[in-house]
Amino acid sequence: MTRILAISAGLSQPSSTRMLADRLVTATGAELGDDATIDVVELRDLAHDITDNLLTGFANPRLREVLDRLGAADGLVLVTPTFTASYSGLFKSFMDVVDPESMADKPVLVAATGGTERHSLVLDHALRPLLAYLRARVVPTAVYAASGDWGGDTGLDRRIARAAGELADVVRGRPAEPKTDPFTDPTPFAELLRETATQ
Amino acid sequence: MQFGVFTVGDVTPDPTTGRTPTEAERIKATVAIARKAEEVGMDVFATGEHHNPPFIPSSPTTMLGYIAAQTERLILSTSTTLITTNDPVKIAEDYAMLQHLADGRVDLVLGRGNQGPVYPWFGQDIRQGIPLAIENYALLHRLWREDVVDWQGRFRTPLQGFTSTPRPLDGVPPFVWHGSIRSPEIAEQAAYYGDGFFHNHIFWPAEHTRRMVELYRNRFEHYGHGKADQAIVGLGGQTFIRHNSQDAIKEFRPYFDNAPVYGGGPSLEDFAAQTPLTVGSPQQVIDRTLGFREYVGDYQRQLFLLDHAGLPLKTVLEQLDLLGEEVIPVLRKELDARKPEHVPDAPTHDSRRAKQDEEEESA
Repeated sequence: MTRILAISAGLSQPSSTRMLADRLVTATGAELGDDATIDVVELRDLAHDITDNLLTGFANPRLREVLDRLGAADGLVLVTPTFTASYSGLFKSFMDVVDPESMADKPVLVAATGGTERHSLVLDHALRPLLAYLRARVVPTAVYAASGDWGGDTGLDRRIARAAGELADVVRGRPAEPKTDPFTDPTPFAELLRETATQ
Repeated sequence: MQFGVFTVGDVTPDPTTGRTPTEAERIKATVAIARKAEEVGMDVFATGEHHNPPFIPSSPTTMLGYIAAQTERLILSTSTTLITTNDPVKIAEDYAMLQHLADGRVDLVLGRGNQGPVYPWFGQDIRQGIPLAIENYALLHRLWREDVVDWQGRFRTPLQGFTSTPRPLDGVPPFVWHGSIRSPEIAEQAAYYGDGFFHNHIFWPAEHTRRMVELYRNRFEHYGHGKADQAIVGLGGQTFIRHNSQDAIKEFRPYFDNAPVYGGGPSLEDFAAQTPLTVGSPQQVIDRTLGFREYVGDYQRQLFLLDHAGLPLKTVLEQLDLLGEEVIPVLRKELDARKPEHVPDAPTHDSRRAKQDEEEESA
């Protein structure tokens, strides 16, 4: 079973960011076949929970469930609207409460929406550096959809298909390794002592 | 089962009056709270350690020594003593001195501290928090058990032929609890030494506390200190009590809404549902607290946080009366009745001295 989780940081309803996320997961699902389960989470529904987590230091059960699903996912689709030359504040706040270790080596497709194609580099100057810091495995094609892309033939569907194919390839080529749970498989104390002495 | 209070020592304006106590008032109020804790039949008073405003307890052993002189039964402890930024040599000496002055009524909870700037102020680096906790405690453990210590490590100057003074009272080092909210390494450390494990149990959901305690218990057994259910567990908790639960909620809400740690975040109702915070009647506090053992097992110490967020001293003392008269006697009875025979009580100086004498005789 392959698990893909899409995170949409769109704020309005209906949301073009959510539309783009849906297009991307449909295309990824078509590539991966019946064996894949694909969910979409809208951060709008978790906005208060995310803020509470920033203030209290822990995730409430509703947010915890999403963070756990993110940790367990074999691949992620991250889609944000472009706000003030970057990802939305809600998107960044969410990334701030994600356990950084859960992003390491994770296959990720990044995408963004915006009013004009002049913002399309947001994917490269904002999203890629963030995910590089988190050591995620971002696929080469990133999908930007400006307002105009929802009209004429600008190649949006081809970009979506290419990115989805790349994500599916990485996910397929990378059988999920069982994660070590530090609570069931702790580092023995002798090792902790040794690490302290040699670090 | 031991019951007590633990304080953070924050100086916070009372949101209902706008008044901020002076440091002197807050310090003396803390002493009054400890005395009251003994008066209402509690077993433990524990103070935090902080080195930045708005907190006052920078010097736990000074405060606890003063309280020791004014109390007779109360066990004096910390919540927590910073094992990362204090010199372990000074911890060994300070707490042994306190132990003598308090006739053994002393134990301590070790913790790392989570405030970045405090580390460099004391010549350390927060990124080394875990290695500091491990190395410093390994030294502290030896200083209390070996009369002459030769030692070399990463974080402090080496010691040759060093004797920490005074030696622990009756040759019995203060009992140590290792406190951690979320680091499995610290639960492992507590289990390795067969020491106690304390979970602050205030800011995090029950599920998280359960996982930490379960790890500690399993590893305690792994290291041969006894069965998992014989490990020594302490929990924090947070209550606000009035006879009528609606009164409790109404009175506590402005303090909750403005508290530095959660003000502006979740609602009182949400936070109470997600964490052990209980605001209500004595019966509600009893029921909730009895529920803790369902996810951590039979445990040995329950400390309540009562005196934060600007609550006036008068209110805190009323809370202690309500806990002492209506809550703790019921909890003691109920928890003791449920605890199996083979689960030990929390270690005290006397119980540990008796065990030591027994071991020496049989040796």
